[in-house]
Amino acid sequence: MNFVIRAAAIAALFHITPVVVLVKRPDAVQSLLPGADAYTAREVHLSGRDAHRLHEAVDWSPEDGVVVFYAGTAGSTAVGALEFVRVDTPHGPIEVAVGFTPQGAVRGVVVTKATVEMKPWVLEAVAAGLTDHYRGLKPGGEAPGGAAGIASRVGSLAAYVAGEVDKGVARALAAYGAFYNHVRA
Amino acid sequence: MLYDLRRADVRIKWLVTGLLATLGLSYLFGAVMVALYAGFTPQSVAATYAGPEMSMAMPPETTMVVQRPMSMADFAGPEVHTVDTNLLIQDTHVHVPMYGLIAAALGVVVAGLSLPRRRALGLIGLLFAAPWLDFAGMWLTKLASPRFAIVTLAGGWAMAVAYLVVAALAVHQMWVSPERG
Repeated sequence: MNFVIRAAAIAALFHITPVVVLVKRPDAVQSLLPGADAYTAREVHLSGRDAHRLHEAVDWSPEDGVVVFYAGTAGSTAVGALEFVRVDTPHGPIEVAVGFTPQGAVRGVVVTKATVEMKPWVLEAVAAGLTDHYRGLKPGGEAPGGAAGIASRVGSLAAYVAGEVDKGVARALAAYGAFYNHVRA
Repeated sequence: MLYDLRRADVRIKWLVTGLLATLGLSYLFGAVMVALYAGFTPQSVAATYAGPEMSMAMPPETTMVVQRPMSMADFAGPEVHTVDTNLLIQDTHVHVPMYGLIAAALGVVVAGLSLPRRRALGLIGLLFAAPWLDFAGMWLTKLASPRFAIVTLAGGWAMAVAYLVVAALAVHQMWVSPERG
């Protein structure tokens, strides 16, 4: 019986719950590229060397070695670009949308997906103003510090998930800085 | 036989009924979860487990860019829930022991049924084989070919059928036609 109880406890502890959509992608796009009426997907297929460089910098290998930026324009005016970055955690994946202004600064961050288990932690962190801490960050500048910024106002699990969002923003910044404007189509 | 659910004390019958009802509820929600995240067709299961890893290309010599126009509708397109290798390792580690315990619990129920020995052995074999098929299908779909998604579907249906057979026989023998005296 002891074995059964321990097995059930381990299963409950390590079980990854399904991913749920917190903010639909179109809503995230409208929020991060306000006013845009045309969009372009810019798929950067990384060479082995660049993929290794990115991995060394932010401990991240994008899926299939492809980083996708979505650029938005309003008429002939650039509105900015955004990335959807996935962060794998022991509790399952989260997805973070990071939007940039045409000048290359972070315009905003939206957590678009999380597991059922992490959803309340994400909502608590966001309600505490997590995403405000990323605004204005630029590639190569200050590291994302959302988790530290809200640590005193939230529980430990919300602070933990904020650290994972920090990772997503750091990855988006590294990819944007290295590949958005420096590789020509 | 010492252990016979037909003649068992009503407390044992009540315990087995509670176990079957609880497992039935979890199976029901398991089916809803499969419908939400993987689907019941070989194509949808293959899309969940095979993922992009099946068609992974070599990285280019130099980093290159491909651009294409997007519409808002493209952002809203259906997204396929995928299970990558790391997640499947974790899922296997967690689910297989639990499936084993569930099969064992149902197997204990089968041992108390009035069934010919061969049928009982076959039913217990099916209880354990079904989760093996389920996970073998997932791994084969990921590592060998998306065509093996059918094995996962077969495993899932086998689990459902085995549960229903055990539950129907147990309820019938315990409550509908228990042995008198």
